Amino acid sequence: MAAARRPIAAGAALLALAGCAAPASEAPGAADRPWDEVLAAAEGQTVDLWMYGGDEAGNAYVDDVLAPAAAELGVTLRRVPVADTGDALDRVLAERQAGTTEGDVDLVWVNGENYAAGRQAGAWLCDWALDLPNRQYTDPGDPLLQNDFGVPVEGCESPWHKAQFTLVYDSARVPEPPTTLAGVLDWAQANPGRFTYPAPPDFTGSVFVRQVLTTATGGAGEVPLEYSQEAYDQYAPELFDRLAELAPALWREGSTHPQSQQELDRLFADGEVDMTMTYGPATLIDLVADGTFPDTTRVLTLEEGTFGNASFLAIPSTSGDSAGAQVVADLALSPAQQVAKADPGTWGQFTVLDLDRLDEADRAAFEQLPPSPVVPPYEELSRNAQPELSAEWVAPLDEGWRRSVLAS
Amino acid sequence: MSGGTAGRRWAVLLVLPALVPVAAVVGAALVSAVLLSLGLTPLVGQPRLSLDAWRGAAGDLGTATLLSLGIAAAATVVAAAVGLCLALAATAVVRRSRLLGALAALTIPVPHLVGAAAMGLLLADTGFLPRLLGVSPDAWPPLVGGEWWVAVVAEYAWKESAFVALVVGGVLASRARSYDETAALLGAGRWARFRFVTLPLAAPALGAASAVTFVYTLGSYEVAALLGRPFPEPLPVMAVRLAGSIDLTVRPQAAAVAVTTAVLALAAVLLALRALRRLSAWD
Amino acid sequence: MGLTARVARAALAAWLLLPLVPLVLWAAADRWTAPAVLPQAWGTAGLRDAVDAGAGPASLRSTVLGLVVAVLATPLGAMAGRALATYRVPVGGAVLAALLSPLVLPPFAVALGLDVLLLRLRVPEPVGVFLLLTVAALPYTTVLMRAAYAAHDTGFEEEARTLGATARQAVFHVQLPLLAPALAGAAFLAFLVGWSDYVVTLLVGGGQLVTLPLLVASAASTVGNEAQVAVLSLSSVLPPLVLLVAVGLVGQRGRA
Repeated sequence: MAAARRPIAAGAALLALAGCAAPASEAPGAADRPWDEVLAAAEGQTVDLWMYGGDEAGNAYVDDVLAPAAAELGVTLRRVPVADTGDALDRVLAERQAGTTEGDVDLVWVNGENYAAGRQAGAWLCDWALDLPNRQYTDPGDPLLQNDFGVPVEGCESPWHKAQFTLVYDSARVPEPPTTLAGVLDWAQANPGRFTYPAPPDFTGSVFVRQVLTTATGGAGEVPLEYSQEAYDQYAPELFDRLAELAPALWREGSTHPQSQQELDRLFADGEVDMTMTYGPATLIDLVADGTFPDTTRVLTLEEGTFGNASFLAIPSTSGDSAGAQVVADLALSPAQQVAKADPGTWGQFTVLDLDRLDEADRAAFEQLPPSPVVPPYEELSRNAQPELSAEWVAPLDEGWRRSVLAS
Repeated sequence: MSGGTAGRRWAVLLVLPALVPVAAVVGAALVSAVLLSLGLTPLVGQPRLSLDAWRGAAGDLGTATLLSLGIAAAATVVAAAVGLCLALAATAVVRRSRLLGALAALTIPVPHLVGAAAMGLLLADTGFLPRLLGVSPDAWPPLVGGEWWVAVVAEYAWKESAFVALVVGGVLASRARSYDETAALLGAGRWARFRFVTLPLAAPALGAASAVTFVYTLGSYEVAALLGRPFPEPLPVMAVRLAGSIDLTVRPQAAAVAVTTAVLALAAVLLALRALRRLSAWD
Repeated sequence: MGLTARVARAALAAWLLLPLVPLVLWAAADRWTAPAVLPQAWGTAGLRDAVDAGAGPASLRSTVLGLVVAVLATPLGAMAGRALATYRVPVGGAVLAALLSPLVLPPFAVALGLDVLLLRLRVPEPVGVFLLLTVAALPYTTVLMRAAYAAHDTGFEEEARTLGATARQAVFHVQLPLLAPALAGAAFLAFLVGWSDYVVTLLVGGGQLVTLPLLVASAASTVGNEAQVAVLSLSSVLPPLVLLVAVGLVGQRGRA
């Protein structure tokens, strides 16, 4: 049969085309040149910014505030909405494997997971983010800007905003909320069916499990950030035991879990559970304003603090318009853009800038921002903030949770 | 039927423009996936022929396969039965229902992703249906994310029943009516007309549409991901979870799952073709 | 019509319509929370959000993509269907299986190497998208046209030939008009393959074509966007419906 021979021939051709070798995991660096030259090279470029498109406020900010400002610098900013940032990474990895240099993705709004995954294959351009002029307004010693998920940032991505892992509850249904994560677990057991969390590897569910590991079980406060098999063997079993013990008290007796933060939010909105959780508290403003979440929705600040991180803009190493992308990343870091973005009426994202480094007028602009009706100020939310465990922890914990808690 | 060498050459010429791109794309996709699953085109590290990815995925592959086959079979049976009824109603000689034809047509362009969202809004614990019927969330059976994958099967069956109706209805509309009228004139009863005229005419199209439905459902991701539960998981959901892992070295496992899905689907297509060949009107 | 038949038809109508009811209600709802049976506030927020998200240009792009796929996949499927149904194709069974094989490729498999290959071969993005989606649509057009040709009575064509028509005339003036309903159905299904695709359009198209499914998938990935998703969804049902009515009219003219 011709059909049987075809794949073999095609396979040989494909192997040749695939070139057999994986792309180098060392990230290529940006050309070292003065900022004036970057600006000149950026003139006329079109920057394709791939970003998660489910956040209406974020879309509106990029389209109505950031893009017009970029246009004034001669850069056309085009937003490509994706359902999952992993889709952008898929495209970049394919371009990287094919050796493309004029790729279609110029800028990506990444979280720690995508950044760490991309770093493995050299997907992100390096040696540019520290040279952005507006970088002077950030604190070089800020740990959130030095490491992303335990992977060094090293000028391979430019900070955009800060976020804090946050538990959210309905104060009408939980009048006296617990104040620690261990207390939340106890509360869940005392109120069967009113709590659950998304199944890892969902991003939020995965964070929740790591948060339980670091502050409520195992070596609360002592789990090393660096992953090692010994540390895993030492701390993971107690974590899984605790979560398995909790399971019968969860929604649907823990026989299943929401598959995503979206599903958990839906349960919360419909009153099936009394708490939800998010790594992006800014979205709460819209959810309460449009009536999806009840007016009595409140953020639960925990005594021991929660994970905090920053999200970043990364330039793929395959980008054909990396000068324009640098200009946009710099613009996004400017005090004017950061303050516009921090306005709860626009997007309400916490700034990455160090207010002490700003001039009087800019600092005043930040201080005059109206308070958010739902989300407490960053200082309160990030009290006792903890750094994220390194990325190597994620896969073993997710897999271990599947085996030990979900499948049992 | 035309035969002879000229007829053959003509037939080959007619088939090639479709066959060449299909063979090229499917061949390339399958070979790429197989190479990736064998560790020959890794995203990180050195290429090395190994079965590690297959071993890594093997543990869950059995359950995932059974679950996928079960969902696809259930959805296909319901879609075929309802789709046939729709086609019959939409093309009936007496009191042909234009409305049902139009409603089926309305359903076809709904993308599965939207269909899944709609089914969720309808069948969830606090969905439209329990609200309409006044059933409290606790008393409502777990159709979405439940043990029996009811909402997933319902979505596929709903969408694909309209597809079956379109394919079968197309054949019945162009052909069955005249036969049916003749049979009626000759005095055949309703049941006899259905059994000996309509059904044999509809059978090949029904079989083909069912096979398409089965294979589509087997490889489709979004509905099971949106309306299902995290464990156990059907093949496509497993593949997408592995492909999206933060650890890029897991990606070959996703390729192994994808290849498994494709092989299963191919077996289903071949079995279906064999069964169809037995139906007289098909070949 | 008997009572049983009436009930059966009502049940069929409910089966088709019921899942769409919450969608239609959401499209006009500004606020709808459990356990209310109907929205608490009606309004056009969903429509506004959909327009803001770029639904207008996106549906135009989706239409173009769907039409290109329909224009490519319908004639190819019709030719293959004709050959398989009425001529002796060598190893016909294997050929048919090969033509159905795109069905066995799960869409996500595209991201497992095929995208890299297309990039390496320097296939321009739109060409790659058209090629892949046309291939994805071919099983549908082939199955439909094969079934139609199998049921097609060649007597009319032979009669036309006897009356002096050329082979070409027989095909274009007798065969195709008779098969217009099936052709319309095939074109419609092919259109939908292009119209509703997400993975290929995004990953192979490199984000250059922001179509309606990209907007729907993004909006549907979080809560709070139900109204917008509903509007986007309904607007993604309308154009194909218009198309269906249009081809339906063509089909009826062909049959008359």
